Amino acid sequence: MPPLAQVLLDGLFTGASFALMAAGLALILGVVKVVNLSHGAFFTLGAYVAYVLDTRGVDHPLAAALMAAVIAFAFGVFLGRSFINPVRSHPFSVAVGSLGFAILFEQAAQMLWGPHPISIDLVDPWVAFGGVTIRRWGAASFLLSLGMLGGLALLLSTPWGLPLKLVAEDEEIAGSVGMDVEKIRYLTFGAASAVAAVAGALLAPAVAISPTMGRVPLILSLIVVIASGMEKVWNIFFLAVGLGLLSNLCAYLLAPQWSYLVLLAVICLLLVLRPAGLSAVRAGRDY
Amino acid sequence: MGFPRLLRLFPPVLALLVLCQALPLFAEHPDSRPNIRIGIVAPLSGPFASGGSSFLEAATLAVERANADGGVLGRHVEMVVADSQGRVETAKSEAMRLISREKVFAIVGAYLSEETVGVIEASVAARRILVVPVAATAEITDGVKRDYPRYRYVFRVAYSIPQWAALMSEFLRERRVRTYAFVGSGIRWNRELAEALKKNLAASGIVPAYETFYSPRNPAFEPVAVAAAAAAPDILVLGDPGKNSVVFVKRFREGGSAVPILSVGGSLGDARVASTLPLAAPLYVQAAAWRGASETATAYVEAFEKRYGYSPVGYSDTLPHDAVTVLLSAIRAAGRLDTNSVLSSLEKGAFPGVAGTYRFDASHQAAWGTGPWDLRGTVIQWEKDGARIVFPRR
Repeated sequence: MPPLAQVLLDGLFTGASFALMAAGLALILGVVKVVNLSHGAFFTLGAYVAYVLDTRGVDHPLAAALMAAVIAFAFGVFLGRSFINPVRSHPFSVAVGSLGFAILFEQAAQMLWGPHPISIDLVDPWVAFGGVTIRRWGAASFLLSLGMLGGLALLLSTPWGLPLKLVAEDEEIAGSVGMDVEKIRYLTFGAASAVAAVAGALLAPAVAISPTMGRVPLILSLIVVIASGMEKVWNIFFLAVGLGLLSNLCAYLLAPQWSYLVLLAVICLLLVLRPAGLSAVRAGRDY
Repeated sequence: MGFPRLLRLFPPVLALLVLCQALPLFAEHPDSRPNIRIGIVAPLSGPFASGGSSFLEAATLAVERANADGGVLGRHVEMVVADSQGRVETAKSEAMRLISREKVFAIVGAYLSEETVGVIEASVAARRILVVPVAATAEITDGVKRDYPRYRYVFRVAYSIPQWAALMSEFLRERRVRTYAFVGSGIRWNRELAEALKKNLAASGIVPAYETFYSPRNPAFEPVAVAAAAAAPDILVLGDPGKNSVVFVKRFREGGSAVPILSVGGSLGDARVASTLPLAAPLYVQAAAWRGASETATAYVEAFEKRYGYSPVGYSDTLPHDAVTVLLSAIRAAGRLDTNSVLSSLEKGAFPGVAGTYRFDASHQAAWGTGPWDLRGTVIQWEKDGARIVFPRR
């Protein structure tokens, strides 16, 4: 197996898994205009749904993804309607409240399934030409993130996506032309939560499932969204994949500890150069 | 009745009151005497809740057993539990609360090396006995060697880093490996363990082919797994007792490597987790004790399973169980609930636990190793139908 080729392919897949989480988070940040710190909890929810189905003999990833999407959408709509919408004009309250929900969810998961990490059977990878391993979870992340972000980009370019674009651009105008802005917001929140849960369900066989497993993906996806900006959907994908490749290359060529440091250093540099994100139309500093 | 006559009644009334207060001290029935309060400091929430929960469950089992046997010195044993949340400051403040507000006689805890160092400061300041069940860093017993009068209250039941390395080295030598890879979480004790293992094995000509530590925040498992496999070691030593060890094994095996893995224990000792991992290539797990290692160990595993519905991992549960058992045995041996007497009993006595018989050396470290009186621990190999003890050979 050529190690460098394997490291690059894995970097692509790791980046795609960041993008999968970031897609939902970007949707919330763009349309609902809040920083949702409970996004990682929905990722965890998806993984636990996959685990529960697995213990009942249903081990098909699509079944787990579908079930996770339905449950997370319902939870997301409830949370969006009952909490996010009423307090969204107070950004600190939203951040603290959504973090509180995430901790509440972690505690609930601990009570239901215990604090111990649990695991479901690892699906065998495919071995491609030249002995390069194609990890199934990686391929699923890559294809799904491409599909999700491609679908979102397509939606925004058609009349169907107009309500989302209009609410993102100017809520007052959207409301004045008869759009139910509140409804669009909580449905968007539900849909984004469903995306995170689908990511959790698909990645479940590759990870150790535990109540706090959503914390690391939340931080990484938040970094990707803030650094890429929300104007151009594809930037999220390219930045996530770029960071995945960079992280893996640093870990392989330097040392694993360096991968996180380099990743954060690159993000800091990016934010200094383009504070509004990669896709901002007019980049500039605040002074 | 005038005031002087009332005054005459005062001495007998006072004597009666004093007698009433003193009566419980002479009572024989356990329930009528104050409980022996033992403080437990463990991370019951946050990222280390898994280990902390096992800790508490096993400690509860030990206390329940002691009470079922009639208590200690005729008294009921009561656990007072504090959640350290895996944080140094919280662990220290909770230990102080247990001592000053809850009036515990002794403390068992904490879990992580870092938080244990905080608890040590609280316990030695208040001259309370502290039995350390899991933490392995050298700092814990260094204090006893350096400043005995101050730190003499601290005892460690768990294996120290050099002992741990010695136990692992013996296993690796017996497996006749020539090279190994060390991969682990980049935390303090893990780096100490890698260093101690390297020193220990150098004399036998066994050298590391690859050594690295991943960040718990962004573990970057795939490149580590690829690099470790590319180094082609005879065995991979996985220094991570947490959930990341499970993910690493998945990544390593996904890549097609058949290199045997020796885990330091913890999450990979959980039968529910092991049953989901590829086991075509050997997966060894180190533990303090395991079902079948002795009659006591088997009885403990069965009691644990009956009480909690799953099997213990043999490390983060077994050692806290033994820490509580050793402490209660020392109180029994001392014959009185007095810190100096129990301390002396711990220093001089031998106390049976699940992993074997515990004896403490001059630095208050339990004797683990390869000597005839030492605790030896065990290594198991996971197979499709469960675990098999592979070390020490019997």
